[in-house]
Amino acid sequence: MSICFSGRRALILGGSCDLAISLARHLICEDVSPLLTYRTEKGENYIKKELESVSGKYHTIYLNFGEIQSLKGLLDKIGGDDLDYMVDFAQGDYESLISASDENRVYQYFSENISFRAALLKDLTRLMLRKKKGRLIFISSSAAKRPNPGQGFYAAAKLASEALYRNLGLELGSRGITTITLRPGYIEEGRGKAFLKSNREKTLNKVPIKRAITRKEVAKAIIFFLSENSSGFNATEIELDGGFTAGK
Amino acid sequence: MDVFEKVKDILMELLDVEDQDITPETYLVRDLEAESIDLLELAVSFNAFFDIEVNDDELFLKDIRSYIPDKAKIEDGMVKTINEKYPFLSTGRIKEIIYDLQEGPTLKVKDLVNYIIGNRFVNNN
Repeated sequence: MSICFSGRRALILGGSCDLAISLARHLICEDVSPLLTYRTEKGENYIKKELESVSGKYHTIYLNFGEIQSLKGLLDKIGGDDLDYMVDFAQGDYESLISASDENRVYQYFSENISFRAALLKDLTRLMLRKKKGRLIFISSSAAKRPNPGQGFYAAAKLASEALYRNLGLELGSRGITTITLRPGYIEEGRGKAFLKSNREKTLNKVPIKRAITRKEVAKAIIFFLSENSSGFNATEIELDGGFTAGK
Repeated sequence: MDVFEKVKDILMELLDVEDQDITPETYLVRDLEAESIDLLELAVSFNAFFDIEVNDDELFLKDIRSYIPDKAKIEDGMVKTINEKYPFLSTGRIKEIIYDLQEGPTLKVKDLVNYIIGNRFVNNN
């Protein structure tokens, strides 16, 4: 079975994480040009270093969920109606017991991770509405459904964002714009990697496939869900966790 | 191209209605049966074709009822408040809306045209 794409341009939010970079490489192989967002100079440099071999086949743009003005820069860069896909890896981190949290940080966290995301989705889907086509994928987490202590705000922001994406799929599906949320479980990347370093055996014992998900598996799943091969999926959440959340 | 003629073209395409169904006095919802998703597409089309920023709540008079008490008598203060919120509506049109509101959604094609003309004027100045 071959993978088919009808679009040629993908926006990747949170583009400096390893999963996003891995996805960008796979997209380039499929002749889809990725536009990766970064929040810091370090992030931009990391993207450039990791994608050096495919230089010229991707673009980058600054986007900070804490700066509403940066959204305008993104829209200017996309221009007109030239956007077919969007994959959203962006997520700030605020780990704290709820009863021990700092109110100001909580307001800021939800403002950045929910309100800003809603504003961004409004603008991007209006661009996609012009040509009545678009696919958006939100990368959530199994922690949205089964958080550990201290992950209450992270889980709340993820679930709220999932709701935004689900409703977009409900509201705009008839106009060719569809959405999917993927919930990866334990991954050998980023926060997951750090967590697994000190909790590997105990954690992976709870996963039916007895291992973490790889970055390649995540990228390939996203490629499938962006492609025409998965066009029947919309407004839904899919676990990508080796069965972790299916049982007790 | 004349703004009304272009608005008419967009409405014909989006709502699958005929040329003769659309006049400046046509109601969007009551006559053309536009739904919320159609209004969203209209806003997107206006933004793309006329190159104007569209505030959906303002253009589609979404909150206008909140400025008009039940069984309202027309008072200058009320008309002024509504005009400040919706500057593309003339005093005469606001009075018409106040009388008409009980019959259902009051947005007419001419309101869309006036919104676009008003916004283009602001953009060009």
